[in-house]
Amino acid sequence: MVKNNMNDTINPTNRLPLTNEDTVGPYYPICYDHDDRMDLTKSIVGQQFEPKGDKIILRGRYIDKNGDGAHGALIEFWQANAQGVFRTEDTESSPEIDPHFDGYTRYRTVTGDFELKTIKSGTQLGRAPNITLTLFSDGISRLVTQVFFENEISNETDPVLMSLPQDKRDKLIARLVGEDDDNIPIYDIEIILAGEGETPFFDDFLALGWRD
Amino acid sequence: MEKLGRKLRIGPTDNTSYERTPRENLRIIPPAARDSFLPYSRVQPGIRLGENDLTRLAPDLPRADGDAIEMSGQILDDTGQPLRHALVEIWNANKYGKYAHDLDGYSAPLDPNFIGLGRMLTDEEGRYKFWTIDPGCYLARPDINRWRPKHIHLSIRGGASRLITQMYFKDAEHNDTDPMRIVMGDDFHLNIGKQYETPNIDVERGYKFDIVIRGKDSTFFE
Ligand SMILES: [Fe+2]
Repeated sequence: MVKNNMNDTINPTNRLPLTNEDTVGPYYPICYDHDDRMDLTKSIVGQQFEPKGDKIILRGRYIDKNGDGAHGALIEFWQANAQGVFRTEDTESSPEIDPHFDGYTRYRTVTGDFELKTIKSGTQLGRAPNITLTLFSDGISRLVTQVFFENEISNETDPVLMSLPQDKRDKLIARLVGEDDDNIPIYDIEIILAGEGETPFFDDFLALGWRD
Repeated sequence: MEKLGRKLRIGPTDNTSYERTPRENLRIIPPAARDSFLPYSRVQPGIRLGENDLTRLAPDLPRADGDAIEMSGQILDDTGQPLRHALVEIWNANKYGKYAHDLDGYSAPLDPNFIGLGRMLTDEEGRYKFWTIDPGCYLARPDINRWRPKHIHLSIRGGASRLITQMYFKDAEHNDTDPMRIVMGDDFHLNIGKQYETPNIDVERGYKFDIVIRGKDSTFFE
């Protein structure tokens, strides 16, 4: 019997064996989804507060091997605030945290398409503005990648982009395609899950023996 | 030679897995970017009393068809710390293997007394407990007569830990041909609920399903 991908890669000392991830299947409860949170520029619906930073719209779609949309999948978005700081347990009370920006949301896509209104994250510690996208879907457990923005100087030195061959870098850079009625720039990205033109995805379990 | 991450396996006989699984190896995340790959979820919805009892739609309404079961357990990170106040969502098919979800076209009947969705927050020790109906299996690939064994879906989110998985049942019909069970290999036992007696409560039996999820201190292994 073939061993599980996940526990295979883990340091065997002092760690409990992880429960296997599994596919989300096609029937994630739609009512548990927070569609309204596809606008991260409104921290509280109906209130006037807004996060600091330049508003942007990230439009995109997940495409399967046949060119069809990854319908019914769950997409998770995660990003830093305008100062480039992530909101976590450890940073919650930091002066660098924007109390009106959360940086996390989850969305169930009907067709594979998504549109997130947010702010462009700041650059800190050599990182270019980016959004981490995690896909949970029927047929796969979890796929992680990062999306960047066209025309950012910091793309040239970002460690994630630099870790990829040139043709793969381009797959992660959203193109500026226009602006909406409020002059908010719209970026567009196509994420190809499998086959020709495949988007690079990242391994957040580092294999023992592959360490630097 | 360039170092690469895992190559994901395609679930045998799973068409969606064939269409959606990347063919190239995953990429290694450079150390300077690791923090950015650790989403932190603060989602805590308003949960109604009784949302962890899926066996009836309201306290005085009839029980759904089938065996009422308890599913309970503790959620830890891999260093053994309990995952407190995490959001646990579950969903499962009814006794006949049918989901009430809009997209389920399977011909088995709906049960008017069963919606099949539940959620709760874990307590101080990371514990959770649901009552639901022992789910039926369902035909996933009519063309090759491949069934999904009975299972309960779970999504867990809390801070830097999150997991989407399924609980299976020991030696259940169709376990051995399930694509994800095959991919899990020898680690399948980690996803099986352990049956226990429930003499003093109004369910037929219980299944203990303890869960271990990566936490913020344990995502990257070096
Ligand atoms: Fe299912």
